[in-house]
Amino acid sequence: MSKNKKRLGITKFIYVPIIFCVIMYLSVLAIFSADLTDIVSIGSMFLSDKQVDYSTAYENIFVPTNINSDTVNAEDVEYPSINKQFGELKINNRDVSAKLFFGDGTIPLNNGVGVYAGSFIPGYGKTILVAGHNNTYFNGLKNVKTGDIVTVNTSYGNYEYEITGTKIAGKNDKSAYDLSAEEENLVMYTCYPFDELGLTELRYFVYAKKTSGPEIVGLYE
Amino acid sequence: MKLLKNNKFQRFLHTFLSLMLAFCLVAVSLFTLLKCTIFSQSYLGEVLNNSDYYVDLCDEIKADLIDIGNASGLNKKFFDNFVDEVMVREDIQSYLDLFYSGQKPTVDTKNFERSLRSAIEKYEVNQGIDPKNVSEENIVYFINESAKIYSNNIKITYFNAIQRDFLRWSKKILIYDLIFAAVGIGLVFVIFFTNKWKHKAIRYIYYSTAATGLFLIVIPIGVFFSNIISKIAILTRSLNDLYISCLNNIFLNISVIAVIFLIISAVLIVIHNHLRKKST
Repeated sequence: MSKNKKRLGITKFIYVPIIFCVIMYLSVLAIFSADLTDIVSIGSMFLSDKQVDYSTAYENIFVPTNINSDTVNAEDVEYPSINKQFGELKINNRDVSAKLFFGDGTIPLNNGVGVYAGSFIPGYGKTILVAGHNNTYFNGLKNVKTGDIVTVNTSYGNYEYEITGTKIAGKNDKSAYDLSAEEENLVMYTCYPFDELGLTELRYFVYAKKTSGPEIVGLYE
Repeated sequence: MKLLKNNKFQRFLHTFLSLMLAFCLVAVSLFTLLKCTIFSQSYLGEVLNNSDYYVDLCDEIKADLIDIGNASGLNKKFFDNFVDEVMVREDIQSYLDLFYSGQKPTVDTKNFERSLRSAIEKYEVNQGIDPKNVSEENIVYFINESAKIYSNNIKITYFNAIQRDFLRWSKKILIYDLIFAAVGIGLVFVIFFTNKWKHKAIRYIYYSTAATGLFLIVIPIGVFFSNIISKIAILTRSLNDLYISCLNNIFLNISVIAVIFLIISAVLIVIHNHLRKKST
């Protein structure tokens, strides 16, 4: 009997702090239960599924292709996410040759030219709005002429656009392009004047219409 | 009076008091830790100095400036060695001074604008550009936009949004800390002087310290095994590193405090056994 009592006395040193600890956690949970959902949702805003890569190196999903079909299934097209290179853009003899990115932030514009994420990528039959810096990849836009051919190569097909005109507009002038157009058209723009020191309020727009390239089908099935 | 003399009631009362003491010890530990870490300007300054924050931040400012430079006729080379780490450090220090003093935290970009202006003038001379052919309006626009980029990078993200609540809690925490500390000391006295046998008093205090140690050690262990810190994703590398350094530091400190409490608990067991032997 006394042995049992002694054992119980010793085990008290173990189980009492554990019970205390559990009671304290339950109390904390009870006190903050009302705010728990808010705390968890705010916390999850700062969490990602995987470890974030902050390197400025970008992901390249562009694989040159020779496919020359008229259509391509939507499910075969990998829609790029922001800052990914998904193609290349060239205007022969006009010194324009750049990697084509999705998005027009620092990474795309420091490494090539970028499609505004609110517009479309080639093949969707809509407006493709491409931005580039006038000091780097779009400096050659100053040399383009009506009738020049713009080549856009992607992993799902190669596209050609014929330049139809140019325009100088203000940086906030939304009438310079139509994002709701139902006909595939390419709009490239950069800061204007070219080779000017300092930041300007003007933009140089180059317009082109699609002449060849596969149409993406099966979008709404 | 009769009730107080009842052994079972006394045991229940002392157990309850030691549970309350454990609550107080946890509260004092966490509040003191917060006061000495997140709510301390010197702590933040130390974390900033010991992490790669300034180096990463200078790289990020430079990348953003190169981007705007590409739209302004300035090539990448122009920004080589332009972003001065000393200036960045001083501006962040001033920003934090304003933040912790309760004034609206702003960034004074005058020095930055001045050095950018003189770098452009030097560039014009080196490139043989006639200043008469340069639009002053465009230069001012470029400098203003660059200053905005600089200022946005110097401001520590989320700090402006939380300042009011942060300062309010900073004051409250000190008061709460003192209240819990006073109550805790009071409870130790009550437990000690209402127990006829001192070894029993020591045992009740042991329950509190051991429970506190266990409670605190569970937090860093949970964080470590859930690997939650590596999943934190904040805007930029510099900010991410800063916040992760702070959190790692805090959880490390919690572990240290927990271990201290567990060591105290071990010492209390020894004292308890010693006093018990003496009393028998």
